[in-house]
Amino acid sequence: MTALLEVTNLTAGYGDGPAILSGAGVDVQPGKVHCIIGPNGAGKSTLLKAICGMLKIREGEVRFKGEKLNGLRPDQILRKGICFVPQERALFPKMTVLENLRMGGFMLTDDTVVNSRVDEILDRFPILRERATQLAGTMSGGQQQTLAMARTLIIKPDVVMLDEPSLGLAPKIVQEMFDIMRVMADEGITILLVEQNALMGLKHADWGVVLDLGRTLFEGPAQEILTDPRIQELYLGGKKAA
Amino acid sequence: MADIIQLTILGLALGGVFALMGSGLSLVFGVMRVVNLAHPALIIAGAYATYWGWRLLGVDPVLMMPFSAALLAVVGIVIYKVFFEKDAASAKYSDLTVLMAFAVAMIVEGALGGMFTNTQRVTSPSYATEAIFIGEIFIPKGQLIAGIISMTIIGSLGLFLKFSRTGYAIRATTQNREAAELLGVNLRFIALLSFAIGIALAGCAGSLVSFVFNFFPAKHWEWIAIMMSLVVLGGMGSILGTVVGALLLSVLASYVGAAAGATWSTMVFFVALFLVLLVRPQGLFGDKSELAS
Repeated sequence: MTALLEVTNLTAGYGDGPAILSGAGVDVQPGKVHCIIGPNGAGKSTLLKAICGMLKIREGEVRFKGEKLNGLRPDQILRKGICFVPQERALFPKMTVLENLRMGGFMLTDDTVVNSRVDEILDRFPILRERATQLAGTMSGGQQQTLAMARTLIIKPDVVMLDEPSLGLAPKIVQEMFDIMRVMADEGITILLVEQNALMGLKHADWGVVLDLGRTLFEGPAQEILTDPRIQELYLGGKKAA
Repeated sequence: MADIIQLTILGLALGGVFALMGSGLSLVFGVMRVVNLAHPALIIAGAYATYWGWRLLGVDPVLMMPFSAALLAVVGIVIYKVFFEKDAASAKYSDLTVLMAFAVAMIVEGALGGMFTNTQRVTSPSYATEAIFIGEIFIPKGQLIAGIISMTIIGSLGLFLKFSRTGYAIRATTQNREAAELLGVNLRFIALLSFAIGIALAGCAGSLVSFVFNFFPAKHWEWIAIMMSLVVLGGMGSILGTVVGALLLSVLASYVGAAAGATWSTMVFFVALFLVLLVRPQGLFGDKSELAS
C-alpha cells in the first residue's frame, strides 16, 4: 500500500539549536492508527511539530499524497488535511466550548458549513453540548481533551496527529480518549499518535514506530512491537505486554 | 451628594477617553506581547493631525477622526514592518520590543517637535467650551462627547472581536498563539492587523484628546504611566479590563483631585500601578498563568 504521509530521513531542531531529529522517518498508511514510542527526548513531539510546519526542516522531506510539504506554514499544511493537537493547552481557555469548536473551522470560509459541522459534533459528544456556553478553561482535563480532539473533526481532516492525549488524565478518562481516537480511525481518519505510555499507546494502535535519539530505530505492526523481547526490554519497561 | 455625582460624572467622562487611549495598547499587548511604549506618542500624532485639519481647513475634530485613524493605521503598519516584524519568533521578543517601542516613542516625539514645535496646542470647537447643566450638576460638553464616542468605539471593537471571523482569530491568538496557528490562523497577518487597529485607535483617541487636553510632543510621557496603570489594573491584554480600570481610576482620581487638589489626582494612577503590581499582578481580569508564560 502506498503511504499517505511519507517522512524520510528528517533532520530538525528548535531555532538555531542542536538537531533533535536526525534521520527520523515514518510511513503513514491511510486509515490506520500509528503510535510513536520512545524514551524522553527521543524527538517524538518534535517529529509531529516538524511534520505540521511548526519547525523548520533542515534535511529530509515530508510528502503528503506525493506532494512535498517542506517549508509550508502550519496553516498551509492544515489546508492539505493534516491536523495537529499539541500537548496540553490546545484550547482557547477564555472562549466558550462553542467558540472553540467554531475556531476549529477557522479555515473553512462558509459559516453555514461550520455551524452544521459544529452541530454534528455537539450531537456526537453530548458533554460538549451540555457545556457549550462554558469557558473551555474551566472544564476538567478530560473534557478539555475531548474538546480538543472533537474540534479536529470540523475540517474533516485526512490525518490527525495527537501529542500525548493521555497526559495528566486519570486512567478511566485515558481510556475514553483512546475510544474517541478509535472512533475517528474507524471513520477513516489516519492517526499519528505520540504516547509516553507506550504499552497503552501500542495496544490501541495498528502500527508502531520506535524513535530514539532522533532517529527511527524500528517500525512494524503494533502487536509485533508489543511482543518483541528487545523492545520490551528497552522501551516497555521490560514487562511482558498483555 | 451633588458633589459626589458631579465628580463621578466628570471621572466617568474622562475615564471613557482614557479607556480608548488604553484599549489600543491593550489589544497590541494581547496579540503581540508588545508593550508599545510609543502608543501615547502616536495618540499625540493623531491629535496633531486633527489639530491641523481643524486649524487650517476648519474641519471639526470629531469629523477628523476617520482621517486621523486611517493615517495612524498606515503609520502603524510602517512601524510594525520596520521595527516589530522581524524578531517575532525570538523568545526575547517582549524584551526586545520594549526597547524598540521606547525608541519609536522618542522618534515620534522628535519628529512632532521638529515639525510643530513644543507649543501647547488644543482644538476648540464650540462644544469644547460649553457645558450642560442638570440642576446643580454641570457636565462639560467636550468631555461628555469624547467619553460617549470613546465608549461607542470600544463597544464596536468589542462586537468585532466577539462576532467576526477576524475577531475570533485575534482573540484566539491572544489566548493561545500555537493553537491558533495550528487551526489555520496566519499569525503574522493577525499581528499586523492588530497593530494597525491598535494604532488606528490611537488616532481616534488623538482626535478626541485634541479638545479635551492641551497637548505638545513630550506630553506622552505623562500619559504612558497613566495608560500602563489602566492596562495593568485591568489585566494586561484584556480590553474589558482596560475599560473597567480606566473608569475606576478616573473616578477615583476625580475624588482625590477634589479632596486634595488637582496635583494629587494623577497620583492615583501611579499608586494604583504600584499596588496592583504588588498585590494582584495579573490585574482584575488577567490570568495568573499568563504571567508565568
